[in-house]
Amino acid sequence: MRALLLLTTLLAGPAVAQIQAEIPPPSQSAQGQVAVTIYNNNLALVQDQRQLDIPSGRSRQEFPDVSAQIRPETVTLTGQGIGIVEQNFDFDLLSPQALMQKAVGETITLVRTNPATGAESRERARVLAANGGVVLQIGPRIEVLRDDGLPVRVIFDRVPENLRARPTLSVTVQSERGGRRPLTLTYLTPGLGWSADYVALFDESAGRMDVQGWITLTNNSGTPYVNADTLLVAGAVGEGQPQPRYGGRPQGPLRQAGTESADRERLGDFYLYPLPERTTIANRQTKQVSFLDVAGTPAVRAYEYRNAWLGTTDEPQSANTVLRFSSSREQGLGDALPAGTVRVYQRDARGNPQFVGESAIGHTPMGSELGLTTGQAFDVKVRAVVERRERLASDRWRTTMRYTLTNARPNPVTIDLMQSGLWGDTRIVAESMPSQRRSADDALWRVPVPANGEASVTATFDTRF
Amino acid sequence: MGMLLLSAAPAAGQTIVTSAGPDDVDVTLYRAPNRAAETPLDLEWLEGYALISETRRVAIPAGESEIRFEGVAGGIVPQSAIVTGLPEGVIERNRDAQLLSAATLLDRSLGRRVHLRRTSRATGAVEEQVAIIRSGAGGAVVLQTRDGFEALRCTGQNETLVYDEVPAGLSARPTLSVRARSNRAVAASVTVAYLANGFDWQANYIATLSADGSRADLFAWLTLASMDETSFRSADTQAVAGRLNRTEPEDGDDEGDGARRLSLRCWPAGTTSSLGDVTVVNSQEIRLQGTTRTEDLINELPQSFATEQSIVVTAMRARQEELGDLKLYRIPEPVTVAANSQKQVAFLEQPAVRVDLVYRSRLSLGSSGEMDPPNRLLVTRNRSEEGLGMPLPAGSVQLFGPGARPILLGEGTIPDRAVGEDVEIDVGEAVGVTVENEEVDSGRHWEDHILTVRSDHDAPIRYEAEFDVEEHETVRPASRLPRRLGRPLWAVTVPANGSASLRYRRRWTDD
Repeated sequence: MRALLLLTTLLAGPAVAQIQAEIPPPSQSAQGQVAVTIYNNNLALVQDQRQLDIPSGRSRQEFPDVSAQIRPETVTLTGQGIGIVEQNFDFDLLSPQALMQKAVGETITLVRTNPATGAESRERARVLAANGGVVLQIGPRIEVLRDDGLPVRVIFDRVPENLRARPTLSVTVQSERGGRRPLTLTYLTPGLGWSADYVALFDESAGRMDVQGWITLTNNSGTPYVNADTLLVAGAVGEGQPQPRYGGRPQGPLRQAGTESADRERLGDFYLYPLPERTTIANRQTKQVSFLDVAGTPAVRAYEYRNAWLGTTDEPQSANTVLRFSSSREQGLGDALPAGTVRVYQRDARGNPQFVGESAIGHTPMGSELGLTTGQAFDVKVRAVVERRERLASDRWRTTMRYTLTNARPNPVTIDLMQSGLWGDTRIVAESMPSQRRSADDALWRVPVPANGEASVTATFDTRF
Repeated sequence: MGMLLLSAAPAAGQTIVTSAGPDDVDVTLYRAPNRAAETPLDLEWLEGYALISETRRVAIPAGESEIRFEGVAGGIVPQSAIVTGLPEGVIERNRDAQLLSAATLLDRSLGRRVHLRRTSRATGAVEEQVAIIRSGAGGAVVLQTRDGFEALRCTGQNETLVYDEVPAGLSARPTLSVRARSNRAVAASVTVAYLANGFDWQANYIATLSADGSRADLFAWLTLASMDETSFRSADTQAVAGRLNRTEPEDGDDEGDGARRLSLRCWPAGTTSSLGDVTVVNSQEIRLQGTTRTEDLINELPQSFATEQSIVVTAMRARQEELGDLKLYRIPEPVTVAANSQKQVAFLEQPAVRVDLVYRSRLSLGSSGEMDPPNRLLVTRNRSEEGLGMPLPAGSVQLFGPGARPILLGEGTIPDRAVGEDVEIDVGEAVGVTVENEEVDSGRHWEDHILTVRSDHDAPIRYEAEFDVEEHETVRPASRLPRRLGRPLWAVTVPANGSASLRYRRRWTDD
């Protein structure tokens, strides 16, 4: 290492005095005081304050252990009495191939081993080319490396300075005075993200559930962040695009958006979730920290079935099982819910919690009504049949639908039966029970189905298609 | 363990406690959400999942500690993990995706001192020297030796790296770690529950038809399968039927998890004898643990597991329970859910279920000529009157004929069938029953057809024809046809070695 330092120092131009930091082993990060702010959309803001000894005048400062996915155009470096001359991000990584290609024109040492005796002989060679094979000049001869297949060791005197084991940021700074001082490096990087994970234990007989919320942090940025002060922002910044909407989309979990404010730190539109203490976010690690623990929230189970168009289902289809609850202060979880996955558990006959389904939620304000589809009911099914379809005029049709709803459970249930695809000038001209027209596109019947029994609904639609 | 303790915790003042395996384990298998009943289990690629609940006894020291739960399922979904029973609760929980492997060993040894060992091919002499790894495991190794800088394995010599220790944070088996804090040393019973991918199950029904064809003995297996690298011994095992909602897994999760291969690349190694522009010739690959499943299975499992899958455990039957809107099948005794294996336990035995064999065609009104052979359907209703009346989870059905030497009559599938539902199992095309639709007369906007079904069976058969009626068509048969599910239906009993026919008129309007 001494020799390497000496050589690189010798090679550097006289104008730029160079301080080549020794590459520390991975357990000793070159990072200083790290603060990481993580957004939901695979983006993080990293602030890294390092103590560096900066000489007076121009010098090049190396910053190893920045994120391997750093967006170098977002880097800012601040410190007392320094000005930035230029900054470089070197990602030419050290490999045998890069080493050989950078050695073209240089002199290397060859160590040949006699296959019969094992005796070693050394000679110096100049690398002429490294395209496909390595062409060497040894004294007056031109040779291809290992053309005869015999063992030959190649020894390089040094590693070129811009070949690195890890992605490294280097900044040339101009300083008025020499001395040790803190330098703060700030940059954006993808590869870090977070979401919430909720564990909901639903007690159906009591109509209540217990919910725990965990923040799940993932780091695929290629770099660990050591002892970092971590702040999570519930929201995405940038890349603001309207969400595409399609007709007949399956109903999302948010049934009624809330209007209450949660008792959480806020910044602009975003809720902030600071981690209580400094933590090391290792590379390729998933880390979870608790943020919500609520017991005994009221919750009920409901059944929903949507027939997407005026068609026959060949098989009876299971109705969706929906868990309905609120995030309001009075009647629910009493918190804003950052986007994530809710996993629902119920106890089996032995009292062990069993997984009964999961559902994704978006950022949910406090006071919202939610309906999470956890799965399809085994015992509650709906079959839609086109009983008759008549043509009234060239652009008018009359379709009679029959919906058969069956319940093999020992208790009565109510199914929210929805018929979608009613866009255009569609009217219901006859129906066996009154419907609610929830939108131009769909109608809703709330159908009670007796225990171990069935119910049916018929409706006649006047359509333009 | 000692080694782990030595190899420096990530944060100061934190002890590492390792729990090698569960004391008690409970496994619940869930089916692949999108696998149709027709698709068989692919033991190499199981898309279902399991809820694994492990009880582990852990000695927790006073102060802050990192508890490493080794030997969790390799397919663990770390976000789903629930840890309960820790005295001061959990500060945070982590899952390190990095298993100990040739690639990660090299990766984590970057910048460290290792030993380079060379063995002479001529004399067998071994020479060892200190080296420092200057590059990462991104596919190449550059070493600094006392001579200068060299690349590993580009020389044609026999050389390898020897490490002093396993770097901290690499574990041989999938591991979940938890940071916990306790104000005193306690022995705690900790429950770790999590979802894991790489499991699946299905029902396999075997129906044996009686001599007169009116009854069938029904028997069913729960077929459980795991492609995980971890075996769960003496596990309380359940399977859950019904469809559960799953969200899409997040991308980038567990990418290259341990099963990554290490491949060492060298500088261009073309020679004057190589054809074309060969850039990499001298590449050497080291295959990692966990990539070859079959070998693992043989090495890891005691002999009894290897033969277990062929043994039929008829003395034990899984019992059905209600679980919300799902059905839970519990195996009454603890069993071993072995790595990369399949296991079967009976869950249903119903003798003499009343069944009908029906031959059915689905035809368009205007078709003419020789039709496709009708399908054979085994028809019953899931009620106690028929000898059933229990939830039937989706699976495959094998229909056997009666007699001392059973003959396979057909194979089919059923979706999830609740109590009270009609059960129709399509067991394949009929042989000896032919259907012909002949156009006998026609005019403007109408045509007359005669549909004839002929049977060479020596007993009467039930035949049904369902008609698909287009919106501009009407059908007027000689006798008015009833409708089933909106379609006109002609149901008839064809006499032994006889035929039956229907004359109908199809009318249509110009569209």
